[in-house]
Amino acid sequence: MRERVEMVFLGDFEPDSFAEFMRHRARRLSISADARRIDATRVDVAVEGEPALVDMFEMACSLGPIDCLVREAYRLEQGR
Amino acid sequence: MSLAEGWYAVAVADDIEPGTSAGTRLFDQELVVWRDLAGVSHVWEDRCPHRGMRLSFGFVRGNHIACLYHGWAYDTAGQCRAIPAHPDLAVPETIKVATYHAAEAAGLIFVHSALGAEAPPPPAPVPSGRALRSLYVDLPLRSVAAELSKGFTRQDDGSYAGTLAGVPVLIFLQPFTASRTALHLVLAGPGDAVAVSAAGEALRNSFEAAPHSVLEAAE
Repeated sequence: MRERVEMVFLGDFEPDSFAEFMRHRARRLSISADARRIDATRVDVAVEGEPALVDMFEMACSLGPIDCLVREAYRLEQGR
Repeated sequence: MSLAEGWYAVAVADDIEPGTSAGTRLFDQELVVWRDLAGVSHVWEDRCPHRGMRLSFGFVRGNHIACLYHGWAYDTAGQCRAIPAHPDLAVPETIKVATYHAAEAAGLIFVHSALGAEAPPPPAPVPSGRALRSLYVDLPLRSVAAELSKGFTRQDDGSYAGTLAGVPVLIFLQPFTASRTALHLVLAGPGDAVAVSAAGEALRNSFEAAPHSVLEAAE
């Protein structure tokens, strides 16, 4: 079973660093992560894969690389 | 100073019993040395792909090593095979630990420093050789090699041949960090192991007491 979700991360980002972090994690977890928006305060990404692996991706990104600070993470289909 | 590609001793084989693991370093790269219950030794990057926890803190079960943190278990090829929090998940092939080629010779465990690459044949066994112990010197590899060359002869396999307490020995060097070097002592003939061990410690102390240039120490 695969799922597709839209994730949003809010915080303070180094866009290149966070983009590379997402690419690396997605590759490791064998899921797709299509970044729709990455700027200094917000990241939107469409993620598709096994639900457990999508959850792992979300958890990893909510920690993020050392030079980024994620203050809030949510999924768009949760009504936000 | 860069690390020359090749085989490096990283542990006394008898120190890594079946079902155990230990951490070491090769020029600052953290490695886990572990032995499965079939007796085969492995040398990997000491880092769980999940959260970066040292696998050397983990536990060996059969032919798997599991991370202490969340129990992710890896087979002898470094492939993750089980994630306890998701027992029904088909773990993707991309969740894999970086592995090195490992081999045993002269009672020591060797690792080839090129990650994942094809490795040349490992060091030849030492006839009647018996690994004795490892000593750690707070000096860079180059300084230790310079000190050893005063009384020992460098061999083709990178080891140094000489005598300690009148007993023929081979010393294999491991660049542990940029400023620390491990000496792995191998008895190459019959003799008093306790006396050789004490002589090895005296040798280590003499190296550290010897004057070394600022440039050497900074390497």
